[in-house]
Amino acid sequence: MTNGPFVRVTGTLLLTAFLLLSLGVAIQGTFETRASISNTFARQSQIQQAQIDLEELLRLQIDEENSLRGYLLTRDPFYKSEYRSASAGYDAKESAIHATLQERQLTGAGQLLGDYANLQREWRSSVAVPLFAHPRVRLEELDKRNKLFSDYETMTVAAIRRALAQTGDDLARSTQDELDRSSYARASWVLVFGLLAIVFNAYRSQLNRELEEERSFTRILQRAFRSESTPLPNCDIGSAYLSATSHLAVGGDVFDIYRLSEDRALLLIADISGKGVDAAVLTAFVKFMVRAIALRNSAPAAILAEFNVVLSKAVEDPYLFASMFVGLLDTNRFGLTYASAGHDAIFLRRPEGVIALDVTGPVLGVMDEPFESRTIDLRAGDTLVLATDGLTEVRNRAGEQLGDKGAMEAIAAAGTEAQTLADDLVKRVRERGGSRVRDDLAVLAIRVLRTGANDA
Amino acid sequence: MTRKALLILAGCMIALTARAVADCRAHKGEHVVLYSTTDDPSVLMWDSRARLRAYHAASFDVAQALLPHALLVGPGTHADVISCIPDYVTSPLFTGPESAVGVIVTSGPSRGAARWVLGSDVRMFKKR
Repeated sequence: MTNGPFVRVTGTLLLTAFLLLSLGVAIQGTFETRASISNTFARQSQIQQAQIDLEELLRLQIDEENSLRGYLLTRDPFYKSEYRSASAGYDAKESAIHATLQERQLTGAGQLLGDYANLQREWRSSVAVPLFAHPRVRLEELDKRNKLFSDYETMTVAAIRRALAQTGDDLARSTQDELDRSSYARASWVLVFGLLAIVFNAYRSQLNRELEEERSFTRILQRAFRSESTPLPNCDIGSAYLSATSHLAVGGDVFDIYRLSEDRALLLIADISGKGVDAAVLTAFVKFMVRAIALRNSAPAAILAEFNVVLSKAVEDPYLFASMFVGLLDTNRFGLTYASAGHDAIFLRRPEGVIALDVTGPVLGVMDEPFESRTIDLRAGDTLVLATDGLTEVRNRAGEQLGDKGAMEAIAAAGTEAQTLADDLVKRVRERGGSRVRDDLAVLAIRVLRTGANDA
Repeated sequence: MTRKALLILAGCMIALTARAVADCRAHKGEHVVLYSTTDDPSVLMWDSRARLRAYHAASFDVAQALLPHALLVGPGTHADVISCIPDYVTSPLFTGPESAVGVIVTSGPSRGAARWVLGSDVRMFKKR
């Protein structure tokens, strides 16, 4: 119990947030690397395509030259049409490759391609066109120019090939670098995660240990203070408790049966705001304080009024309030005088039906309104059921509360024996609420076996 | 001592000569065939080795201006090697420097012409 709940929750939240942040950064880094690598591979693929396109362009250029040679040798017009077709194909392919290189920002290769296309166009105008026009006049000068163009086009194509290959190599290198960087980064993050997980686990273990200690301590307090099965003459008594907060194991519900004298017993059930050790300690305070006040007062309303004053002075918590039912049972005549400070889950099961006992004043710790006592005579076979709001406020899957009516039906349908009745009610709440049970439930059942009057 | 120095000197000379021989594609007195490996297999023959070098290293326009100093022979023209200078020509097209080979044409319309050609345009002629 070295850490308060706030520190525990804050520490856990901070560690979780840090872990999530680290995880987020790692995931983002992984996605960025993936995108980068994917982009690199896409660009490499584009370069390979450009290389293939370039070879196709070169083939078309050679087709043009071969068509010219074929024509010069044979004078067959077929070669002229072949030449035109190859020229058109060359121009179209060149435009397409040029556009692609520009789009892919391969400017170096694009510029060389422009030079290559210019050479080819110049070759057409200065070599091909004159030779097609005068095939019989083979001037050495024209042949030499043809050779010159051929050499320089070969040279330019080789330069384009080298530029593309260089770009491909650069990309491959950058991909490798990216992969290396990414691997190191991921390894670092895994290391950070591992260390954080170890720290987190150690911290969690410590918190769990502290929580278990607190829980154990709370259970001891609960057992010591919450209730005692004090037997009453001519009565069958049963009780049950359902904690909605299993990790805290205790809430602010308290009930008590205390024999004030030979023929007078105090019946108490209360629901105090708050949970955990503080609430458990407060239940002890409530139980013993009410016992003490009841020893000096014969009216439940007076007991509530005095306790209200004591509560507001003893506990300086403006947010603390409590609902409480106090009953004084004459175990001889079985007259029950009671007062209820905002506690509305009190029922009386009779052979002819179940009735709810009225609330006779406001909850404690809120205002100084007067309380009122009521009296009711119990008969043999009657069962007084004192419960907390965990019974009436339990919700089903649709969010509907059980309510007073549902509670009365449940009490009517429950077993006859007091303990069976209490257990049946807890079972009913579990069935209805399932994992949605949010309130603790305390049930105290007192079945009148026979009254003193009957005995007489 | 003198004998040892002579041996070392002879070794160096042999090594240098061997390198020069290894780098040249052809040697004086060899019969060769001219054939270009570019798209146009015709071979340009130059009236000076400096122009041969300039043609391959220069821009297109400069190369065009040099053309009057070149003789074009068809692929398969025979020639005899009269000299060879290793690693003389460099070009963006070549992976390494090329040799310049001096030849005398022995066939075709340009028979008797003495010119310089690129080492890679020279093929060894195998006599039957």
